[in-house]
Amino acid sequence: MTAAREQILARIRAANGGAADPGVARERIGRHARQIEPAFDDDLASRFCRKLEAAAATVARLGSRAEVVAEVTAYLDTAGLEHSLVSSAEAMLQTLEWPASFEVEARVPSGADRVGITSAMCAIADTGTVMLTSGAGQPTSLNFLPDYHIVVLSKAQLLPRMEDAWDHLRKLQKEMPRTVNFISGPSKTADVEQTVEYGAHGPRCLHVILVD
Amino acid sequence: MQANSRQFRINATAALHQPNLQAALKQLELGFVAGRARCYEELPEFEALRDRARDLLNHTLDNLDAYLLEYEARVIESGGQVHWAANPEAAREIVLEICRHAEAKSIIRGKSMIGEEIGINDALEAAGFEVTETDLGEYILQLAKEPPSHIVAPAIHKTKDEISDLFFDKHRDLGYDQRLTERSELVAEARQVLREKFLAADVGMTGANFLIAETGSNVIVTNEGNGDLSSTLPRVQIVTAAIDKVVPTLEDASMLLRLLGRSATGQEITAYTTFTTGPRRQTDADGPGEYHVVLIDNHRSEMLASELRPMLRCIRCGACMNHCPVYGRVGGHSYGWVYPGPMGSVLTPIMLGLDEAAHLPNACTLNGRCETVCPVKIPLPDLLRSLRSRQHRQRLNSSSARWALGAWAWVARRPRLYQFLTALTMPLLARLGRRRGSFSSLPLAGGWTRVRDLPAPQGATFQAQWQKRRGRP
Repeated sequence: MTAAREQILARIRAANGGAADPGVARERIGRHARQIEPAFDDDLASRFCRKLEAAAATVARLGSRAEVVAEVTAYLDTAGLEHSLVSSAEAMLQTLEWPASFEVEARVPSGADRVGITSAMCAIADTGTVMLTSGAGQPTSLNFLPDYHIVVLSKAQLLPRMEDAWDHLRKLQKEMPRTVNFISGPSKTADVEQTVEYGAHGPRCLHVILVD
Repeated sequence: MQANSRQFRINATAALHQPNLQAALKQLELGFVAGRARCYEELPEFEALRDRARDLLNHTLDNLDAYLLEYEARVIESGGQVHWAANPEAAREIVLEICRHAEAKSIIRGKSMIGEEIGINDALEAAGFEVTETDLGEYILQLAKEPPSHIVAPAIHKTKDEISDLFFDKHRDLGYDQRLTERSELVAEARQVLREKFLAADVGMTGANFLIAETGSNVIVTNEGNGDLSSTLPRVQIVTAAIDKVVPTLEDASMLLRLLGRSATGQEITAYTTFTTGPRRQTDADGPGEYHVVLIDNHRSEMLASELRPMLRCIRCGACMNHCPVYGRVGGHSYGWVYPGPMGSVLTPIMLGLDEAAHLPNACTLNGRCETVCPVKIPLPDLLRSLRSRQHRQRLNSSSARWALGAWAWVARRPRLYQFLTALTMPLLARLGRRRGSFSSLPLAGGWTRVRDLPAPQGATFQAQWQKRRGRP
């Protein structure tokens, strides 16, 4: 195994006319140099919503956090779903006061759970994307196993581009989380005759609630 | 998989007579090609991004050993393990050993071309493991026991009716006894069947769209979410990736992602883009306890040392095949191995041997569309031309082709003789073909005229006209 490693590295070095200076690579990495970032001039919230809706997600914009529970209730009722949620443990969701009809559990989902609700680390206006990270109380499977994924976030979490999300992440934690998910719509496939169908393996529906 | 690139001509002829395949390839033009064109129009920075991506990847290749070592160190720091494999046999053995050590029974796979390249499914099945492809297209092909015919849309050649029959036949044992006819029903049934597999799997295997030297992460891009379930649910994750997948930073990956989706399917971004780093952490609620990366060379270091080096910039978007007039008629299976289209015609001769894939560099009109749309500006026509010249040097082409090329080269190096001969033949051909405007048969040109007419020349040669007009249009 080590032999293969040395052999491959030796071949690369021979092809490149010698070993590369590790300092060059480290300096290049340490700079986090931004490449070309496409310009856009619409405001973050409207671009974010427009892009998400174009990718077949649904978006609700609310004036205050107090309206979130009512919005979730309406969403579940319209879809004919029970008031049963598996939730991540982010602060934003912990402070919501669910009515007695609701069963809300913060845990790892099973294959049988229909609706998952999470917040996000931040969101990206450029492409209409929410960024979720794994961690305590934030199982990655919650973003993929349930049929419906509801994401609650505040307008203050909106950033222009993916590069801004990386800076934001680096500021918040020193280590890379085990999983960083960029989600830009419900699960889909075009593998049957190049025609789009939703709900291939992940959520059939993605509902984003954006609070002012 | 068993390669049959030697059969290219036979395969291609058969493909031209398959109406289903021809309809699917036509659809490709309307879907992926139109989608990319729309993205190109909507992003004024597209050309600048292509230049920057080319430069970034050239820089990475120039310092490849250093970036691979940085990447390896970060994977190990995050609790993962890195294995190096010089060739497909070694890669398969490493994967088998990890699976045996984990006492695994069932293995699920997210779609990856390197998995096809190293033939991992056959090896795992031969060793007694249950392997399930989870990308819908790959799953369909696994049931049908067929190889992919496109690197992004693997089952593009299958019709809905064929898939209906296939599911009806293969899912009956699982208790599904209806023959489904709606697309949505087929997708829903596959979801149900595969959900069980996901929940029961011991090992999840994926490829990597990119590896990040800065963080030791692997990047997976999907629309279905199958790559994510494969990376999250099983207790062991194995990532197989080629050594040319590494890029320096998260920002660099962000730039390449802007080009990847747009060039591949006409999407600004796919539904899911995921960065995975090491096994689950102590505080994590889920995720695999073991994380392995198998770094595979398989002739890439050899390409690095040759004129084919630019090929290592390839990000596997498939734009070259979507825009290739040859691929667009003969489809992916004609190419006879894992990688079809222009990129496959460069890679297959290197990975399988030039004599095994001798037709592929010649299955090209040198029209240049592939290079025009390549997001990382790989000069594919130049690379194909250089493979042709390798063939000539290694005497792998037919003796009549060698004789004709030799004769032409001899004349072409003598401009006066060349001009004399063409000035003699062109007016003659023009006069002979004046009535019909074309020839339906000509001596020595049977290969052309058997299936199409040869337009008759207009009279004077190009050089004569050029002289006369002195370069004026």
